[in-house]
Amino acid sequence: MIEMLAASLGVNANDPTFWMPLVFMGLLVLLIAAGIVLDGFDLGVGMLLPLAPADERGRMMTLLSPWRDANEFWPLLGIGLFASAFPLAWGVVFGKLYGPLALMALGLVLRSVSFEFRIRARAELKPRWVLGFWLGSVATAFGQGMILGRIATGYQTAAGYGWFAVLMGLCAVAAYVLLGAAWLVMRVDGELQRRAARWARHSIRWTAVGMVAVSVMLGLANAGIFYKWSNPGGLVVAVLVWVLMLLCFSSAELRLARVPGRGEQHSWLPFVLCVVLYLLMLAGLAYSLFPYLILDDMTLWDGTASIASMRLVLAGAVIGVPVVLIFNLLAYRSVFGKERRAA
Amino acid sequence: MDIVPLLLARIQFTASLSFLALFMALALALSWLLLFFKLRAHRTGLPGWTAAYRFWVRFFALSFVLSLAAALPVLIQLGSLWPGLMDKIGNVAGPLIGFGVLSVFILKSCFLGVMLFGQRRVSARVHTLAVFMVAMGQAATLFWVLALQSWVQTPAGATLIDARYQVYDWHAVIFNPSLAWNLGLMALWSALAAAFLILGVTALQALRRRLDDGERCAFKTALVVAVAAALLQMPVLDGAGRVMAEHQPAKAAAAAGYWHSGTAPGWVLFGWPDAKAQANRAALALPGVGGEWLGRDPQGVYQGLDKFSGMQPPVPLTFWALRVVLLLGAAMLLVSCLTLALTARRGLDPSLLPPWWLRVIVATLYAGGLAVLAGGVFSLAGMQPYAVNATITQSEVLGTASTAVLGASLAGYLILYATLVAAFNGMLFHAARYGVVPVRKPGGSPQ
Repeated sequence: MIEMLAASLGVNANDPTFWMPLVFMGLLVLLIAAGIVLDGFDLGVGMLLPLAPADERGRMMTLLSPWRDANEFWPLLGIGLFASAFPLAWGVVFGKLYGPLALMALGLVLRSVSFEFRIRARAELKPRWVLGFWLGSVATAFGQGMILGRIATGYQTAAGYGWFAVLMGLCAVAAYVLLGAAWLVMRVDGELQRRAARWARHSIRWTAVGMVAVSVMLGLANAGIFYKWSNPGGLVVAVLVWVLMLLCFSSAELRLARVPGRGEQHSWLPFVLCVVLYLLMLAGLAYSLFPYLILDDMTLWDGTASIASMRLVLAGAVIGVPVVLIFNLLAYRSVFGKERRAA
Repeated sequence: MDIVPLLLARIQFTASLSFLALFMALALALSWLLLFFKLRAHRTGLPGWTAAYRFWVRFFALSFVLSLAAALPVLIQLGSLWPGLMDKIGNVAGPLIGFGVLSVFILKSCFLGVMLFGQRRVSARVHTLAVFMVAMGQAATLFWVLALQSWVQTPAGATLIDARYQVYDWHAVIFNPSLAWNLGLMALWSALAAAFLILGVTALQALRRRLDDGERCAFKTALVVAVAAALLQMPVLDGAGRVMAEHQPAKAAAAAGYWHSGTAPGWVLFGWPDAKAQANRAALALPGVGGEWLGRDPQGVYQGLDKFSGMQPPVPLTFWALRVVLLLGAAMLLVSCLTLALTARRGLDPSLLPPWWLRVIVATLYAGGLAVLAGGVFSLAGMQPYAVNATITQSEVLGTASTAVLGASLAGYLILYATLVAAFNGMLFHAARYGVVPVRKPGGSPQ
């Protein structure tokens, strides 16, 4: 397949101008996946704060703190890599996403500052920073959902598409709430776990609505993507993915309905199922768009800088990737399982 | 063409970049001062240096958090406010942005955790090494940011081919003509911002109670740094002015309020540059001064703003931003030198200063920070209407976001920035009064 792709572009597969963009794209997808999953549960817990009793809010934020340093870096790394690896596509894509991106930027700033300032604030001001963290999380999730909505509609600007982006914003809020709640179900026990299971069951429906809506919209609004999935080979994969997604949703729902209960040793299951779901969706989106950055308009290879600039960025990535890997393996090795209360 | 979106975009970008610059400057200088405190603590074994470290590391941490968070809007706005820009300068800007993000990532993930939360878990030597690496990382990040910011002011090492910059010499791109001066200015202003913050807070404490050893150590260090940086400002500003005159004559003319080419230069101390009348109103000028800071054409004739009609930067803003920088610089020089003179015989101890002088020092608490802000405004406003000096205008790379969306997001950013500055300020004054309580990140990263 790689050879075919290279041949269709009229270059040798060993030509750096061919494979470097692919490497960057792979890294970018990994960063986005990490951002969705790892920053995602963080976002979800942030959005659940006002629903929890006031005395549990501090605990919920404390639960996040071991991974906070790692979590908050994914958006910056992703945007940095996008900017440096695909500078020619960067402005074109970002220019179409001004509003949602501004909302996300505001949210991310508020989130990261609120978290750190809360730790250092005096006791009577801490609730304000909890509120800030909540507000920032909602804005970030909503902004990201709107971005997804705009991408799925191929950046078309007719009025209906705007409302679709708003709907996707709401669904993204639900999806992150689900992820955060599922993470809490795995992480804590007792009353908070029971509450988390209830929140998760409320949000799972809206998550499913969002996923179906985005898949349908991708196919309907973009002829190229519809064609890609509707040939016989694509159809088989599509059906398999749909069955898998349905299975994930239903078993997550079933498991959540039984919390707390005998299934205590499987309390990690809903979280893992959600992760599988979101990764499937990301993979589907990436497959639908590939090899385009902007559908039918700009491919990966159109979006890159000159070969000399790419070499420099690659050199940076060669230094950066091991650091990212080692740091994150250390940071996330304990992300699963119950909180340790002794400390 | 509707001018409002362009104006809103300019305000938004300037606000975000200034916010970033302010806290990056504070974090940079505080990290080096903290390294100095640590080294003194090792060398002398006096508890005062450790106390000074403990207190000021809090404000380093807060500044770092704010600067890290502020980097994201700047980056996002660079892409979404000016979508056409990266298309043209991507070959240059891509790697520079990448290296900047990489520097801050490595500094944060590898060393910051050890510095802020690992003091008990590692040996004193390793901890000091972590502080050193954080300070180096701050400097490296600033270097890449300024490399890009300087390159758009004085582009070098790349040529415009088919409306796109192609690099032929990376060394020339990075070490472009204005980089050294901009680095110098930013280093000095960040030193001044941190030093005056420390001086002001310590003076505030001295007004209320007896100072302890830690506060005296911090004051002493900050005073020496403030005097040195305030003095060094002058040659660096002069050098930066000459480079500006050579490469950005329009900005130089706006800074000087010099309208008509070929007239005798005179450095306008005060006055109101009137763009309609193309003249200065109520001007008080030093005749014959300032020619070296004005651009000349090949015949050696001074270039006035009339040479750039239609392409002038906003003259009053540029003119006054520079005056504010210079006034603040002069005030800081005066305050720091007089404080040095008043305390020189008493080992730089502020306790014996008269209360009214302490109040003067408190009043200059944010003078250095304001200089960073005004300097940023000067540098950005003076570039207009260009996004890359003399080749790419801002209006040709402006995005399509509507006035309403731009206005709403600008309001959002301004409210957010104001809230965060107020929170920082509140924590500073609270800590000045009651001290800081060390914090721990429960289950903090395992470094």
